[in-house]
Amino acid sequence: MTTKTRQHPAVTLSSVSHQYSGARQATLDAVSLTIPKRERVALIGPSGAGKSSLLALLDGRLASWTGQASVLGKTVLPGQKLSRAHRADIGFVFQEFALIERASVWQNVLNGRLGRMGTLASLMGRFSVEDERAVTQALEDVDLIDLTERRTDQLSGGQRQRVAIARCLAQEPKLILADEPISNLDPMRAEAVLQLLTSLAAKRDITVIFSSHQPELASKFADRILSLADGKIIVDRPTSELTSLDMRVLYQASEQPQLLRKIG
Amino acid sequence: MRGFPLTLALVAVVIWSGVSADIDLSKLVSSGVRMGDFLSRMYPPNFSVWPEVQKGLLETLRIAILGTLGSVFISTFLGVLAAQTLMPAAVYRPVRSLLALIRSIPLILVAMLMVGAVGLGPLPGILAITFHATGMLAKFYAEAIDDVQPAPVLALDSMGASGLQRLKFGIWPQMAPVILRDTIFRFELNLRESLVLGVVGAGGVGFYIQTYVRSFQYDKAATVAIVIAVLIVLIELINSAIRRKFS
Ligand SMILES: Nc1ncnc2c1ncn2[C@@H]1O[C@H](COP(=O)(O)OP(=O)(O)OP(=O)(O)O)[C@@H](O)[C@H]1O
Ligand SMILES: [Mg+2]
Repeated sequence: MTTKTRQHPAVTLSSVSHQYSGARQATLDAVSLTIPKRERVALIGPSGAGKSSLLALLDGRLASWTGQASVLGKTVLPGQKLSRAHRADIGFVFQEFALIERASVWQNVLNGRLGRMGTLASLMGRFSVEDERAVTQALEDVDLIDLTERRTDQLSGGQRQRVAIARCLAQEPKLILADEPISNLDPMRAEAVLQLLTSLAAKRDITVIFSSHQPELASKFADRILSLADGKIIVDRPTSELTSLDMRVLYQASEQPQLLRKIG
Repeated sequence: MRGFPLTLALVAVVIWSGVSADIDLSKLVSSGVRMGDFLSRMYPPNFSVWPEVQKGLLETLRIAILGTLGSVFISTFLGVLAAQTLMPAAVYRPVRSLLALIRSIPLILVAMLMVGAVGLGPLPGILAITFHATGMLAKFYAEAIDDVQPAPVLALDSMGASGLQRLKFGIWPQMAPVILRDTIFRFELNLRESLVLGVVGAGGVGFYIQTYVRSFQYDKAATVAIVIAVLIVLIELINSAIRRKFS
């Protein structure tokens, strides 16, 4: 059993297709891929390519798709909510942070522990020493340990993004899905946050899939690049083997979807 | 040029009010003496009535507290029914109209009707406050519910939080400060408005103003007026301090 759980990949998709009702085009068009554990994958693609939809699918939040999907060794079914334990193993960093604005930094990060504890204990505020340790560690890792009492709505964008990452780390997930974790940040902060996310994940043996509009930055911190256009994977390569032609395609794919569509 | 007919209409209205009502400007001039007499009889205020005033004030406070409590109770139900994010239009629309209707009825009118229904004393005052305050409080509660951002709640769900955990850690922290602030704000209004309820016999300190004025004991009425004024300033100070705390 132990060997088996060690061996399964973090994600496997086989001919996954999806189309929003009423949409003319498929969001995902027969996508198949395997992502081994501990890999850091960048998902590149223009607006509307289907990045968010794919990440939502892996998080068990997409309805009415076809094909097979398995995340952390457990099957994901269309429109079927994942079990609590499964959800707790998958961390999600939202583009708009999705923090409780009126709550403190500490409370927001502590919320990351909810999936790992009994409902009754949490309602009575009985967080364990282990919970507090995980929260403290996460806050230290994102360098926010001095702002724990600060209300979240009094933070800068970069600080909020770090709170969101800390919440995700406190959750101690095995897989982190991050939907454009840097698109709300200025270039300097973007690089720092991406560096933080990928290095902390590596340190903790966490698989990471993050989406981005910025191929260059993404390839700097990922092991592998996946480029999505019109629901299809058009580039899939280890970042170490990226050619300048690949980069050109990636740039075109991330910036000029119309042009690419004409070529294709 | 478009404003001209409006200006004309306004002037006409003012002239009409002046000439058709039974108002004689000369009366205002000659009443100077009477007014002076009235004011001089208020001075010095007679503080011997303090025990009665104190009793009345405590009753006013009780009316405001119980009226607010009743209103919080009813507003919790009506607030949920008036929430766009929870109810279909067929429910929240009529409930919202009802709340608007309630808000539009002046408290003093409600109080008079309540006195007619249940007799003199603090009870009609409490009922009137409950009724009147609900029009505003239920609307505030509905807005607090509607303002809850779904994204952070969805995030908790995605992290494995259970339904009750989402309520406690996702929805409640977004609503609680708003609801607390609005309730305190409404309590302040209730306290302020219930000061005059006694004038129509619905209990509280207002009763004494009416009694003393009717019996020409202006020095005593002055005491009540001063106490009420001081109280209102006090409430205002406390309220602004509290409002700074919750935002
Ligand atoms: N709820 C929805 N209903 C219908 N169509 C949708 C819905 N959500 C997304 N779409 C459409 O599906 C396609 C893929 O959307 P998706 O959000 O996955 O793209 P994305 O790559 O994340 O884009 P972005 O970079 O703008 O975030 C788009 O054409 C979008 O308009
Ligand atoms: Mg997206």
